[in-house]
Amino acid sequence: MATSVLLACGLNEQKLPGFVHISEESNVDGSFLISCILGQRLRISNAGTLLVCLQHHYQHYFNAGMRLGYNTNIFRGKTLGVIDVLSDMAVEGLASKWLRNSEGQTLTEQLVEDIRAQVESNYASRNSYTVLIDNLSILFNLGASKLQVQQFCQDLAALAKERDNLTVITKLSNSDIYQLTDNNVAKLGQVRIQVLRLKSGVFREVDGKLLIERVLDEGNYACEETRKEVLYKVNDRNVKVFTPGEIGVKV
Amino acid sequence: MLSNLLVTKQKVVLVIDELNRERIALKFIGSLLHEQGQGAETIKTLPTGISLKHVATFEALIAECANQNNNNNTPAGETGDLDAGTPGSGSGKPTGFNVILPTLADLLCYQSPAFIFSFLNRLRRSEHVRRVFLWASPQHLQHPHAEYILAGCEYLAELVLRLETDKLLSLISRKPGGGVSNRRFACQVSKTQFQVTPLDEGLPTGVSPKQPTPEAEQTPEPASSTFKIELDEDEMVARNALTLPYERTSEPTEGNIIYTPDADDDFDEEDPDEDLCI
Repeated sequence: MATSVLLACGLNEQKLPGFVHISEESNVDGSFLISCILGQRLRISNAGTLLVCLQHHYQHYFNAGMRLGYNTNIFRGKTLGVIDVLSDMAVEGLASKWLRNSEGQTLTEQLVEDIRAQVESNYASRNSYTVLIDNLSILFNLGASKLQVQQFCQDLAALAKERDNLTVITKLSNSDIYQLTDNNVAKLGQVRIQVLRLKSGVFREVDGKLLIERVLDEGNYACEETRKEVLYKVNDRNVKVFTPGEIGVKV
Repeated sequence: MLSNLLVTKQKVVLVIDELNRERIALKFIGSLLHEQGQGAETIKTLPTGISLKHVATFEALIAECANQNNNNNTPAGETGDLDAGTPGSGSGKPTGFNVILPTLADLLCYQSPAFIFSFLNRLRRSEHVRRVFLWASPQHLQHPHAEYILAGCEYLAELVLRLETDKLLSLISRKPGGGVSNRRFACQVSKTQFQVTPLDEGLPTGVSPKQPTPEAEQTPEPASSTFKIELDEDEMVARNALTLPYERTSEPTEGNIIYTPDADDDFDEEDPDEDLCI
């Protein structure tokens, strides 16, 4: 269902890099990548996953998972943990801890605390652990400043460095105004996946382009990097990838 | 090598990186120092991440530099401190530390610009600090006044290295006497080496004593001069061969009298002054 896109991104392996960042350009939606990665992590036995829902609530990921061929409900409470910020706000309203600003803590500080608590309680019993955060730009809508988001990501990167088999995967819609924040988050990790729109316009057989940049080795004066471009099409129940030039307008 | 240009007597070094190499900033500067024989024991860094939020972290760095430098130089600590003002003039012992700061983007993430400037200034004035390195990548600075902050850092720095492209860099150097030079270099970068070649022909390099480039061996010539001062080989031969009018054709020897006797001369060796009638 989603193997090809994960293969193209190099995220199909059991052991993932410590920090992976997905940059989403304006006018494209990279949420399918989160669902694809989530499905892949859940299929690995004894691999823990923490899903931080910011853009969509948990039900969205459940529905997407069903279409891609996995059931998140089976794993929830076992290998899958969920921090559903949006649902909490919807249920509890202004009494929600995310809006109360308790003990002078900011939203991002509370979030880091919750993520740390989840990792502490689950990491030891799992072979590997993945924290998926979708989507950082929602934090701006919830009142966080750019600096707070940057600090939040620094904390997450530090968390990933503290533990061997812990991976943090973030996504940020830069909306053409958060480019600098995007760069600052991307530099924390070894893999950056940019979801880009087609420069030539809209095409019914292709939704957009993935630009995958991976740092292979950090030298003293330069990094050894690979860059790969693939086109993608999100279908109802799968995601297809093409190499550039593979498909075109047939006359 | 780039390290010959950057690891000098100048104290505050700012690297402006247009190439998005921020992730290897610490490694980059550490390698430059290592190339110039500055051991790990002379290098001090600040921790990254949330600890930068606390002023105590910055104070601890300054205190650590002072304490360790005093310990290293005991009992001749005072001498070492005095030498710190002129790095390299000491007796071979480290006379101060090389401080590598976190990147400017990381510093701005946790501290105000005023605090950063103040801290940079304190390091600059500290006699226990030999050099301070700061890395700034404009594409990572998200402060609303990032341009002014960067300009402020440039003002404080004595050496400003700007990595413009993969093959080009510029270096602004402010000397203690007030002289400023702006030089451009072509560079060749690999994972383990950073080679530079001056682009401005004839400019004094004088900074790469270990590996002088062919350009460095040429006679220095001010770039702005309208006179042709230096001579090529043919001109040199012609100049040496030319005898100027005031020069003597032969060197003077000791005084002597040249006398050719006439046929009638009756020269008496016993009385050479006979003809003088005295």
